[in-house]
This record gives sequence, structure tokens and C-alpha cells, in this order.
Amino acid sequence: MRKIALAITIILFFIISATILGLFLYSPLPVLAQSLTNPEIQFAIGLSLVTSVISTIICIAVAIPVAYALARYQFPGKWIATLVLTVPLTLPPLVAGIALLLFFGTTPWGRALDQAGFVVIFTPLGIIVAEVFVNIPYMIRILRSAFSTINPRYEHVAKTLGCTETGAFFQVTLPMARHGLLAGTVITWSKAIGEFGAVPMLAGATTMRTETLPIALYLNISGGNLDLAVAAATILILISLAALCAVEYFDKGVHVF
Amino acid sequence: MLRIESLSITLDEFPVRDVSLEIRPGEYFIILGPTGAGKTVLLETIAGIHAPDSGRIFLGDREITSTEPRSRNIGMVYQDYMLFPHLTVGDNIAFGLHRKKISSDKQHALVEEMSSLLEISHLTKRYPGTLSGGEQQRVALARALVLKPEILLLDEPMSALDGRTRERMRMELSHIRKHTGTTIVQITHHLDDVFALADRIAIMREGRIVQIGETSDVFMHPADIFIAEFLGISNIIRGNSSRHGNITRVTPVAGPEFFAASDVLGDIVATLHAEDVILSGEPFVSSARNCLPGTASEIIPFGNTVRVILDVGFPLTALLTRESCHDLRLEPGSKIYSTFKASAVHLIQVPPSAQRDEIEPLIPGNIPTI
Repeated sequence: MRKIALAITIILFFIISATILGLFLYSPLPVLAQSLTNPEIQFAIGLSLVTSVISTIICIAVAIPVAYALARYQFPGKWIATLVLTVPLTLPPLVAGIALLLFFGTTPWGRALDQAGFVVIFTPLGIIVAEVFVNIPYMIRILRSAFSTINPRYEHVAKTLGCTETGAFFQVTLPMARHGLLAGTVITWSKAIGEFGAVPMLAGATTMRTETLPIALYLNISGGNLDLAVAAATILILISLAALCAVEYFDKGVHVF
Repeated sequence: MLRIESLSITLDEFPVRDVSLEIRPGEYFIILGPTGAGKTVLLETIAGIHAPDSGRIFLGDREITSTEPRSRNIGMVYQDYMLFPHLTVGDNIAFGLHRKKISSDKQHALVEEMSSLLEISHLTKRYPGTLSGGEQQRVALARALVLKPEILLLDEPMSALDGRTRERMRMELSHIRKHTGTTIVQITHHLDDVFALADRIAIMREGRIVQIGETSDVFMHPADIFIAEFLGISNIIRGNSSRHGNITRVTPVAGPEFFAASDVLGDIVATLHAEDVILSGEPFVSSARNCLPGTASEIIPFGNTVRVILDVGFPLTALLTRESCHDLRLEPGSKIYSTFKASAVHLIQVPPSAQRDEIEPLIPGNIPTI
């Protein structure tokens, strides 16, 4: 068993390494540097960074109270709430995208939002909405796991030492959950940067308008511009590797799944 | 003074039912009870962590039933200390002072004062994860005491410590109490804590206080069989008692009669502490009214003492020092006489239903005297 297991592990390691390495070899450093000066790639990097950072901040702000409620409180219908909040996790991103498109395009609430100026269909705002919708369950799950490993008695003690309920959370529980929060942030952000599914469905794939890095990759490969496509892919891979290292570094006892 | 009136709260599977208590200023009060008796919930409700379903809590003349925990001036130390792992020892101790917006110079002085009282000055730069159990315990105490609480609540504070550290911590707590004059309410499983520290104790079972009183009184006069067993009283003998002249005679279910200085008559259980039984090779004349011949059936060494189980017609346990056991040349099968005073025998009425669980709780003053 030992030999078979190790052999399969080594083979898989080589297949993955070779695939990634192939990408770097195709696009040597000077070519990559050249691609980075391309306005389209620069736009894609900028848009990806802005939308992913904003969507990650929204995910953090919303997921903290939701994860805390799920970890600490009992309330009627908790199981169904948990289930619904987890649905986007299992939904194929394309399906999530079409659902969002229908919600904002065809329902009275969606149209009301549109008329109120919250225009998401085929706009950069749509990128943020799609990223939040798809990624927030990850953040909730990671934070819920982090909060539920923290004994509520820490907060009890903090309250006897002069904290309000909110104060005890921010002074004690949140700092204690910082590894989970950091791991969640890195995962959410790297998933947001790479999101391709829900985003083009809702925000469209328009060059120099809603063109994030994965969309730039898709548009350029469709248009036969392999150099730019590979440049976008290489940047995405570098981001993934950095995120993986960060998660490995921060992930201390936090269960992602 | 802490006064609790008819406090009830239901929290998961640990309810507290109709608890009334008065804890005197400067007192060391211990609440004893089996797991699941509701002791921690009671303590947390006193601290203000949970709102009671009914009842009231007073600290001095001030009603604090719905006061926030931070405004109660009650400190709390849990069994596993709950030191904030992301803060140094010094910051842990200063945590409450910081919330009170005390100037940093004053904070520093107060932390220093409390650290030196608890001999942890050398640890203030370290993080809790690097400390031993005993050190963490001291830090948790310092963190609570630095705020000079009127009441300090200790939830099984010594359960996680090894025997020797526990012994030292008991001395420490006694010293702290003398030095600061803080009223302490502790919950524990350990009878040693009770003997070493408590002025008064309360026994809790299934959310209720079933007996409360001076430590020695409760040990001498347990209110029911559950309490007698819980307090580790070795001899619990079922039988019947009747009055003969000015003395009460106990007829056990099996075995010889003996005398008790009690006016509890009828179906009873008699309790007798093992340390109140004297063993001798020959009967001797004394003021003790009971002298029963028997045979040693088991001899169990227990630390510096020896527990001897005799068969006198019913099993009777005596506690001797190792030396006494050696001098009496005791071994299983030895013929031996056991002598005990009638006043050492405490009788508990068994209610007609004979349901142990339905024995009514006693309140102070109702404890039968012998």
C-alpha cells in the first residue's frame, strides 16, 4: 500500500508541476514583461484588484456577524439558514451567474434596485456583486469554524472585566479568530481574482469595461492572441501560489471545508 | 454582602431552581455538588452572564439582577483560566484596568502590585500559552483581583492542577483573602478545598441548594443520604430508631443495636464518620456509649492512613493512622472492638415514601442537633 500510495503521489506531483511549469516556459520573463505594458492587461489587472478587494471587504463585513450568529446562537430555522447560506458554495458559478442575472433583470426587486441607481447588469458593479455572491459562503464557513473553536467563556470573562458585549467580541473573540479571518480573507480574495463564471454572466465580458484577468484570458484566447492570454494566466497563477502560501502560513487549525 | 432571592434560570440541561443564598462580607463560601447540578450556571448568573428567569440578586443594598456584568464589580476565574492568548501576561492583568480608562502609570503600578502579591512579576512579558497550569491560575487571579472586586467567583479553579500545585494554590487563596479581604465564592468537587478554605458551604443538587451551613455542621449533620454519600461519609447504616429513657436506640436492618444522641425516631439512616470510630484489642471502659465486637474484613492503606472495614454484623469503616494499625497488629480476620460516641452518630429521617430523591431540603436552623 505504502509503495502504491507514494508512487501515485509522485506521479501527480510531476503532472501538476509540469503543467504549471509549461505555462512559465511558454512565456519567458521578457515576453511577460512586454505583456504587462499592454493597456488591456493593465486594465484587467487594475479592475481585478479593485473589484476583488472591494468584494472581499464586503464579504468580511457581512460574514463576521453571520458566522458569529451561526457559531454562537441557537435560533428557529438555524439549519435551513445554514443550508441556504451554503448553497452558493455548491452551485456551479455559471448557475449562480444566471440566477443573479434573472434576479436583477426580471424580478420587481431587481428592477427597483436598477431604477434606484444600483445598476449591476453588464457593469463593473456587477463584478463585485457576483464575486460577493459566489465567495461569501467560503468566508462564512471559515469564520464560523474559527468562532466555534473559541470558548464563549473568554467573552464572559471579558465582560466581567469591563467590556460590553460588542467590546468583548472585538477585544477578545475577533483577535483570537485572526488566523481564520486572515485565511478566509486570502481564500476569498484569490477566488474573487480568479472568478470566471458568475462574473461574465452578470457583468458581461466587455473588453476594457468589465474585463478582469480571467475574462482577459478568455477574450484573448478566443481572439487568438495567445501571448496576452498566457500573460493573464501567469499573473493568475502567481496570485494563486501567493495565496496558497499565505493560507498555509495563516491556517492554524482552521477548517476550510 | 451578596444576597440571592429565589433565583431560577433554565439554560440547556443545567437549570437553577429557586436558589436563595446570603453570602457575608469577607466570607469564603464554597458550593459543592455533582456535575450537572447547575453550579457554574449559578455562578455565571451571579456574574451577570445570564439573565435569570426569576428571582433577584443584591450586592449590599444595590440590586444587580439586571446590571451588566461590567458594572457589577464581581470578578470571575474559570477552571481553565480563559487567559487571552493574544495578549501578554501583563496585558491580560491590565485588561480590566484598560477598559476603565485608568492612566497607564497607575495601570502599571497596579499590575506590578498584583503581580508581586501573586509572585508572577517575572512572567508579565510572556504569553499565556507558555505558562504552567499553576502560573496561568495566578495570572487569572491577578487579572480578576486587580480590579478590586467586591466578590470573586471561582469556578473549580484548582481542578486542572496537580496535587502539589493545588495544595500551594489553596494556601495562596487563603493568603489572598486575608490580604485583600475579598469575599470569595468557589465551586468545587474537592473536599480538601472545603476543609482548607471554606467558612460555610452549600450543597447543590439538580439546580437546588439542598443544604447550607457552617462547614463542620454540614459534615456532622448531613441533611439527607445523598449529601452524606457526597461528603464521603463512610458509614451510612439503614435501620429504625426508638426512644429508651433519655437515649435513642438504633436497630439496624442487620446487626447489633447501638445508641445515638438524637431525637429523630422511626425509619432512619445513621451516619458515622470513619474517623470517629476507635478500635481496640479489648473492650475498655469509657464515656462512649457504643462498643461493638467485630472482625476486620478489609484493610486498605490510603496515604498516611489506613481504612479498616469491620464486620460487626453490618460493615463498619474506621480510619486509623498506619502506626495505630501496626500497634494493633491488625490483619484481615483479627477480632477487634469498635468504640464510638452516641453523639458521633447522626440520624436522618427516611420519609415514608422512602424515596431518597424526595427528601426535603433543610434550611439553616432546621439541622437536628445531637
